[in-house]
Amino acid sequence: MKFLRPETLGEAAALAREHEDAKFISGGTAVVLMLQQRLIFPTHLISLTGVTDVPGWREVRRTETGLRIGGGVLLSAVARSAHVRELAPSLASAAGVVGNARIRNQATTGGNVAESDYASDPPSVLVSLGATVEVDDGTAARIVPAAEMFTDFFTTDLRTGEVVTAVHVPAAGPGSHASYTKFCSRSAEDRPCVGVATAARLQDGVLASLEVVLGAVAAIPQRWPEVTRAALGRPLDEQVAQEVAEEYAMLVDPIDDHRGSAWYRREMVRVQVRRSLLELAGDGGAA
Amino acid sequence: MSDTSERITLSVNGISQEVTTAPSRSLLEVLREDLALTGAKEGCGVGVCGACSVLVDGKLMSSCIVPVGMVQGRAVTTVEGLAAEDGTLTPVQTAFMECGGFQCGICTPGQVVAATALLRECPDPAAEEVREWMTGNLCRCTGYYSIVAAVLQAAKAGQGESD
Repeated sequence: MKFLRPETLGEAAALAREHEDAKFISGGTAVVLMLQQRLIFPTHLISLTGVTDVPGWREVRRTETGLRIGGGVLLSAVARSAHVRELAPSLASAAGVVGNARIRNQATTGGNVAESDYASDPPSVLVSLGATVEVDDGTAARIVPAAEMFTDFFTTDLRTGEVVTAVHVPAAGPGSHASYTKFCSRSAEDRPCVGVATAARLQDGVLASLEVVLGAVAAIPQRWPEVTRAALGRPLDEQVAQEVAEEYAMLVDPIDDHRGSAWYRREMVRVQVRRSLLELAGDGGAA
Repeated sequence: MSDTSERITLSVNGISQEVTTAPSRSLLEVLREDLALTGAKEGCGVGVCGACSVLVDGKLMSSCIVPVGMVQGRAVTTVEGLAAEDGTLTPVQTAFMECGGFQCGICTPGQVVAATALLRECPDPAAEEVREWMTGNLCRCTGYYSIVAAVLQAAKAGQGESD
């Protein structure tokens, strides 16, 4: 295995196209674990650490519509960023509960998206906030909605040579409330058994929009817009929370793993969705 | 892994080091086996337990999951690099001794490095903040009370110094 250190995005992408079994490496928390567990056998690791020509690669910037978080921004920086805490607080919370302080100091925003780990905290939040992902292969950039980025276990819409250069998150407008609830079945520093990302906007005391996205229960973040749509025009109260939770528990087709059986996950979806929505209501939602 | 060796330069505890090795080897392995710095330990090997905690450019990281190729040109601090040259211990090290913040000792280097990183970022943490930060450093002996007490005492001592 060779370690390559390109200095531009174009070089990095060209190397990825040249070497079929190459992997990009940014913070390394994902790639190194996969190497150790012998899940991947790349011939080349292409380090993105030395790439200097991506604008705002390590910066969180405010834009006209919200936030642009560079692909190289550490999860610890996302969690602490005053901009993220103000405009996308549920994303700051999710970034702040990934792994432990050391993992968050190493793992990057772009890497987190590109890994598409079903049991990672940020992806479901990105989907719930309607975030979009900016990807670039050194010659052309494109924007992919987060909801379309994650396609299967550890699989994304990224094409050969494409790097996640930034994540765009729309700013929370007036009346917006969002939360991320991480339910762990083993120890506090574990990955989630069930993650629930919610985002709601209330207007005149009733729901003008509602998103509920489940993480860690299936290959990719799960949502049922027909269920949340049925809650629009109603106050965010106990009845709505209960209904959405029951529907989600019925519709989810959960995985079975060491953090919980399918049966247990379904029960936890019922409990955690209801709780998350009630907490959101307590956040100023319901009158 | 049969990898191509490379010459990698890095600063370890303020001393410039040059190693010729496969860049995919873990920083932990290079520290322990090539540079004879055995303070950082391998516990879980997957970034969970914190026994291998080091600082890279001042940031707390798990050296077991950092490929050494990634620290080319960067500054690493291990537990060996914390005390002064004359052996004077840091407030964190002193507090761990005074509070009995360890029993068997295998997690202690990691605990001390993690606590040092916390107090650099947040010199006066609440007990809850200490517990949250230190969740990433497992200890199977102490039950954690004495570790939290040590970090809080070190925070007080550190403030005394800067006053």
